[in-house]
Amino acid sequence: MSITSLSFILFLFLCVVLFYLFPVKHRWMVLLAASVVFYAISGLQYLPFICFTTVTVWWAGRKMGKLYEQQDEVLKTLRDRKKKKDVKALYKKECRRTLVLVMVLNIALLCAVKFLKYFVPAVNKALSWSGLFQGEFTAAMIIVPLGVSYYTFSTVGYLLDVYWKRYPYEPNLARFALFAIYFPHIVQGPISRYNTLGQELKKELRWDTDRVVKGAELMAWGFFKKLVIADWLNVFVETVYAGENTAGLVYVVAILFDAIQIYTDFTGYMDIVSGASEIFGVKLEQNFNHPFFSKNVTEFWRRWHMTMGGWFRDYVYKTITVSGWMKNLNKATRNRLPDAVRRYIITAIPILITWFLTGLWHGTGVTYVAWGIYYGVLITLSTICTPGLQSLGRKLHINMDAPSFDVYRMVRMFCLFCGGRLLTRPGSLHMSLQVVKTILRSFQPWTLWDGTLTTYGLTVPQLIVELACIALLWWVSYHEEHKGPVRDTLAQQNLVFRWALLYGLLFAIIIFGCYGPGYDAASFIYAAY
Amino acid sequence: MRELLEILNNLRPDVDFTTAEGIVSDHIIDSIDISSMIAEIEDTFDIEIDMEYMTNENFDTVEAMWAMIQELQD
Repeated sequence: MSITSLSFILFLFLCVVLFYLFPVKHRWMVLLAASVVFYAISGLQYLPFICFTTVTVWWAGRKMGKLYEQQDEVLKTLRDRKKKKDVKALYKKECRRTLVLVMVLNIALLCAVKFLKYFVPAVNKALSWSGLFQGEFTAAMIIVPLGVSYYTFSTVGYLLDVYWKRYPYEPNLARFALFAIYFPHIVQGPISRYNTLGQELKKELRWDTDRVVKGAELMAWGFFKKLVIADWLNVFVETVYAGENTAGLVYVVAILFDAIQIYTDFTGYMDIVSGASEIFGVKLEQNFNHPFFSKNVTEFWRRWHMTMGGWFRDYVYKTITVSGWMKNLNKATRNRLPDAVRRYIITAIPILITWFLTGLWHGTGVTYVAWGIYYGVLITLSTICTPGLQSLGRKLHINMDAPSFDVYRMVRMFCLFCGGRLLTRPGSLHMSLQVVKTILRSFQPWTLWDGTLTTYGLTVPQLIVELACIALLWWVSYHEEHKGPVRDTLAQQNLVFRWALLYGLLFAIIIFGCYGPGYDAASFIYAAY
Repeated sequence: MRELLEILNNLRPDVDFTTAEGIVSDHIIDSIDISSMIAEIEDTFDIEIDMEYMTNENFDTVEAMWAMIQELQD
């Protein structure tokens, strides 16, 4: 069920009615039932996968939690430091066994559904050799469960947190299942942490008119971003990349539109699901914080897809940084290599591995590997070069605190982001190279005013509407960046004004939204990851 | 405590760690220094710092680091 469809709105409406008809202490069960129904409607064949992950991770968390409880009991009876250390090591080993078993099973399942399509001939050979399967195995047979990357990461994060004793395990399977399958975050995140979403879902979820209205406003804004901006820009970008003999300037416009499209597509989705969740009183984790105001690539990834960045930082990057082999490398290179070289190596290794894996998470083709390496190299260079560049700036008497310098850094970051998109959006690295070559060799600036731009799916009035909407989007982002949430500002206005604005937004979505035949307005870019 | 301060001062001689707060949260020491610092602390105090101790709270002040070291030595 697409969240931009009328059936989703109806489904949500029914859920909200049922939710508030139930007594407060049973409301979480309504959410669990609704989430299972939502998932089953999306595809009954997906259910066994998410059930497997939920049950195995819950079991492992419970087992490790109970082992730690036992360990604490035993430690209370001991005084000798060595014996205590031995007991801790023994229990840790047992916990690690459980952790590794369940993590490997679930990550292998994730890898299988994502990567198996590349190994179809090998699978067929193996199957015919074993005699287990007589027919031909094809890529179309692979079931990719809805939101598999997102729920696997959320639940594996929980498992690691319990193993590292960050918070206690969840004893109730149904409570844990709700965390895993909660329908507003299942399709494409945010990648939730159990200590935040799990606790949100345990709160007393009561009706609050102000919060419900704010949730509806956020949903309307999300629909506006997705249907009025993202989907129309997608028509333009798709047509440009599908065409031939395209002018360089048209490609530049397509690259700019593509950056805005992916931003409005993903944040539009986040606003819709966060608003829907707010109606139930459950706050989802923030996933975007106006990333295009970032001044460097590190800051950008602290503001863009924050829950994914946070996941890789906490569970991959930090694990590599403090791993035994990194510590050994640190010790081995000390006094043997010049300090600067050693620092570059120690910095680069965890960043490059983390970003290589981040690229693989986004997609399995060469373009995504290149994308991961692109950001890995950028972040490594940024980390290594920043002190030197700052020192150079001071020597050249450049005022790096001036607002104009901030604007320069934001524009630079936006261009770097567009560069990353250019690696993946055209479809192949060869095509990406062709686009760059065309921009450099055949720019044709006159295509900006000779009507060429209107031959890519959007008419002049549509282009004007899109530019006006982008200007509105920029104003909202600027307001939120400097003065706080627009919804808080709106909450201080008269009720008539608020409702008029909400109706205006809804009419804008109905009138200007992209619903053309043959175009799937429902497919969100990040749902494919 | 003196040995811990020595390790930190060797990494960043320009910082007064006795009064510094948010050592990791506010990026007073960066990711490269964190890796070196952990290796030094483990060697000096004969402890192993697992991921479960790798939280900002444990590294944001010298006092917090010292409390963590003592806990690991117990």
